[in-house]
Amino acid sequence: MRAKSLFDVITHSRVWRSFFRHGWPDNPLDRSLVMTTNIFFHLHPVKVSRRSLRWQYSLGLGLLAVILFLELTVTGVLLMFYYVPTVERAYTYIITLQTAVPFGQLLRNMHRWGAHLMVLVVVLHMARVFYTGAYKPPREFNWVVGVVLLVLTLGASFTGYLLPWDQLAFWAITVGTSVAGYAPVAGPTIKTFLLGGPEVGQESLTRFYALHIMVIPAAILLLTSLHIWRVRKDGGLAANEVKEP
Amino acid sequence: MIAQKPTTPARSGESFARSSSKTYTLVEIVRGAPPQMIDHGPEDTVFAFPVVALVELLLALGVTVVLLLMSLTMNAPLEEIANPNQTTDPAKAPWYFMGLQELLEHGHPTLMAVIIPTILVLFVLAIPYIDNEREGAGRWFTSARGKRITALTALYTLIVMPAFILVDNFFPPRELLRGIVPDLVAQGLIPAAVLAVIVLLPLFVLRRYRPTNREVMLVLFTLLFVSAIVFTVTGFLFRGPGFKLYLPWKMPGGYNPFLNL
Repeated sequence: MRAKSLFDVITHSRVWRSFFRHGWPDNPLDRSLVMTTNIFFHLHPVKVSRRSLRWQYSLGLGLLAVILFLELTVTGVLLMFYYVPTVERAYTYIITLQTAVPFGQLLRNMHRWGAHLMVLVVVLHMARVFYTGAYKPPREFNWVVGVVLLVLTLGASFTGYLLPWDQLAFWAITVGTSVAGYAPVAGPTIKTFLLGGPEVGQESLTRFYALHIMVIPAAILLLTSLHIWRVRKDGGLAANEVKEP
Repeated sequence: MIAQKPTTPARSGESFARSSSKTYTLVEIVRGAPPQMIDHGPEDTVFAFPVVALVELLLALGVTVVLLLMSLTMNAPLEEIANPNQTTDPAKAPWYFMGLQELLEHGHPTLMAVIIPTILVLFVLAIPYIDNEREGAGRWFTSARGKRITALTALYTLIVMPAFILVDNFFPPRELLRGIVPDLVAQGLIPAAVLAVIVLLPLFVLRRYRPTNREVMLVLFTLLFVSAIVFTVTGFLFRGPGFKLYLPWKMPGGYNPFLNL
């Protein structure tokens, strides 16, 4: 009898088996169980159609948006280790980050360019979904969730724009929020609620920071989970709607 | 076909009477296939594991490499510390709001910053409820005709919207009609009417070809999407000091919008 390989010993051990409740995924049963017993994989269907995998169909834009969000989360948490949202110190902390922290400038660059890319990718994803007719029944509600996610993405980027507290940040937010002030009746109230005062100041920085690092990312995480889960529940990508002759 | 639930209690003397010794039973014979299976063609599927997992891993690695290369070659901008007493010139919103800021240049703020954006957001949310036929999903532009409609609408928008921006910039009604008509007309009704004509004209042409709901949506969304691009690019790239129009390569004072991303 052939001696058991180390690989077999490990994957059949009680410890391994307590982690993974399925065998090595080289057969249909275990490949199904990978998806249904793993919290990270369970948003996927067990089987996908070849049509929906063609890159010319989806361009992978939804996936790219998720990947960018995750990379922004990682770089964002690292930036939080060095940042303090006060008018007196925010700017000097950015300078310190860029000059004295190893890879600090690289970290900030990745977060900045990643954020711009994510806005671009999310907009393109919406255009792709529209032009392939993927909003059609039964996917109407998921289109609505997607529109909310687009607004949240813009909100995440806009609130983050203020945090370096330089001239660029200050005036971009001043111009951006002045638009909200034009709304009749509720306009000035909305603007004051966002800024915490009549103009951009410490209160605005505090509020934008809270929105940027906590409220909006949490909402995006929740709604993205719903969004992806609904894709599966609604029958996968709309590419599956096409009947091949 | 074995149905899940009996619709009528089984009677004795039936061809498939229930047996107490069996844990399963045939309760009903349904003619034809169940409704959810009728549309399904021959299965052409693969297991998501490991194919999809590998695609995701490769894309994640690709994104990381691209982001790293961008971050090694370009530094994120950082200007002087914020100073509420010293306005920058031009003062611009982040690039994705430049379309809105550009729109504001062409009419009354209530129209351009509130009414139009509200209509646009409501339209986008309503798309799947207006075009609610299941047919035509899963194919780019749905059909060859849809593709042609989209291309023509895009071309039309690419000509008409820059023309609107230029004409309004050089012959602004609010300046030309100052004192002749009230501000509400010059800055509100006139731009609203012009934009309405721009949007309705292609729909009017399309009406002669008996369009489907999907084709109407293709026209409206393309108008919105291409206009958004035109206004964003104009505001971001062609607006210089004083928020005046300049050619990007002739910006006074060497102003470069890409340094302020």
